[in-house]
Amino acid sequence: MSREEVFERLNGVFRDVFDDDSIEVNDRTTADDIEDWDSLEHINLMAAVESEFGVKFSMGQVVTMKNVGEMVDIILQKV
Amino acid sequence: MSVTSFYFLCLFALALLLYYAIPKKAQWAFLLLLSIGYFMTSDPVTQSGGWYVIFYLLAAVGAVYGAAVFIGRTAEQRKKRAALICAVLFCLGLLCALRFFGLPLLAPLGISFYTLTLLGYLFDVYYEIGQVQTSYLKLLLFGAYFPTMISGPILKYREMEGQLYGGHKLDYRQVTFGMQRMLWGFFKVLVISERAAVIANEIFDNYDDYAGLPVWLGAVAFTAQLYTNFSGCMDIVLGISQCFGIGLPENFDAPFLSRNISEYWRRWHITLGTWLKEYLFYPLLRTRFFMQLPKTLKPRLGKKRAKQVTTFLAMFLLWFAIGYWHGGTWNFIIGSGLLHWFYIVSGELLEPFFSRWKAAWHVPDENRLFIFFQRLRTFALVTLGLIFFRSPTVPDALRMIGRGCSALNLRILWDGSLFSYGLNWIEFTILAVSLLFFGWASVRQQKGWLRERLEKKPLILRWAILYALLFYVILLGQYGPEYSAAEFIYQNFRA
Repeated sequence: MSREEVFERLNGVFRDVFDDDSIEVNDRTTADDIEDWDSLEHINLMAAVESEFGVKFSMGQVVTMKNVGEMVDIILQKV
Repeated sequence: MSVTSFYFLCLFALALLLYYAIPKKAQWAFLLLLSIGYFMTSDPVTQSGGWYVIFYLLAAVGAVYGAAVFIGRTAEQRKKRAALICAVLFCLGLLCALRFFGLPLLAPLGISFYTLTLLGYLFDVYYEIGQVQTSYLKLLLFGAYFPTMISGPILKYREMEGQLYGGHKLDYRQVTFGMQRMLWGFFKVLVISERAAVIANEIFDNYDDYAGLPVWLGAVAFTAQLYTNFSGCMDIVLGISQCFGIGLPENFDAPFLSRNISEYWRRWHITLGTWLKEYLFYPLLRTRFFMQLPKTLKPRLGKKRAKQVTTFLAMFLLWFAIGYWHGGTWNFIIGSGLLHWFYIVSGELLEPFFSRWKAAWHVPDENRLFIFFQRLRTFALVTLGLIFFRSPTVPDALRMIGRGCSALNLRILWDGSLFSYGLNWIEFTILAVSLLFFGWASVRQQKGWLRERLEKKPLILRWAILYALLFYVILLGQYGPEYSAAEFIYQNFRA
């Protein structure tokens, strides 16, 4: 899977989780850029991303992930 | 030994001189000695003769140390998990036995804080995001670092390891900034908190004698007392540590400027909130039960509601834990826990209603008056919770709230009653002026550290301001023999 494909599918997941069709994520997108991305939605987002790509994040990754770029790196390592 | 005592300040100055005189390699060991010394001169040891409480600390560090080393060495997930569970149960068991179960045992200084600090380190090792510390003594310093023993902040090992064990060169700016911050903390604790306490004590201890406004005044005084005490203590603690060249995490970010309760909890006791989020709330939501629950509920409630109900349930457990950690009795569980859960849940549920109301009345989100209303609302809701926190029991709190609602009594504002709650008009004015000054500084602080702005002022003006504050604290601070009650509420408020 290419990085672009991952981003494409991630956009779908983000739009679904945050109920906002205008979301476009990139490497540097963080929780600060998306209004509803708080500590509660973070876990919902993690679960949605996991089921989209069939991966499982470790607790350490859930806690330390800093931006969408890191998320993509982890996904690409795991699929 | 209280950090506001004269002896502490003398010893602190001496320790600082020695710290920068000895070889850098030995500095961490010196800090460890200071920490043990501080621990052994704390009240549980000196006043109750319980020198043995140091063994509780040594044992907790020992359990976490051993488990972390084991987890780092073994490859089997099952064994790692077993080691983690054993150490966590041991530490939490000690904490509960000594603090919460009402057993007639002596609790060591700072146990609620160092237990969480140590467990956070162990979880990080287990999650493979933290390094294993192979020296028991170094881990002991991390757990028992003396400034944090008073009332936090709760430390993260991955943020501290570089600072705690590496040597520090004397940095004039760090030391002066640290001392300025301590001074600011003394101002909050000795000038504001101690005065607000007089009013709060009078009203809370005799609430049956009051009705209407005086009751609410007492409640507001307690909120002011608690906040200036706890955050002032943090200023002193962070200032002390900064003098040693070690930056600790911030615990407060002007929480009463928050526009809602969720935001308040991101700005009040920040290190506790982060700890609970990362080591309790997230792992809880990632359990099979909580992952499955939205799917189970979806057919009946719809996707959005199912997700909502699941998070509300997890938040209930989180807020129960926050309340329980504060003291283990119902007045804490409600006042600093479940009531806040109720605020957040009802805020979420009523959100569509609020949005429609705001649209109908054309209230823009960034309207200054509206922001002011939201901040006032935060303050009122938190103060209501703190009535439970301060009252000895839940029925007391409810009766006191009842007294507050039973009359208006606005006339206390002009008939002189204001000066009959333990503070005469001079003392009352000092309190009011200091609070206003503190409020102004908090708002200004949002635009960057006032210390950095002060640094840019001409030398004479800078020193004039600092001396003015220093004399203000010395002259107006309530301390000395009869006021040595300047103990920190968060140190062992359950008592």
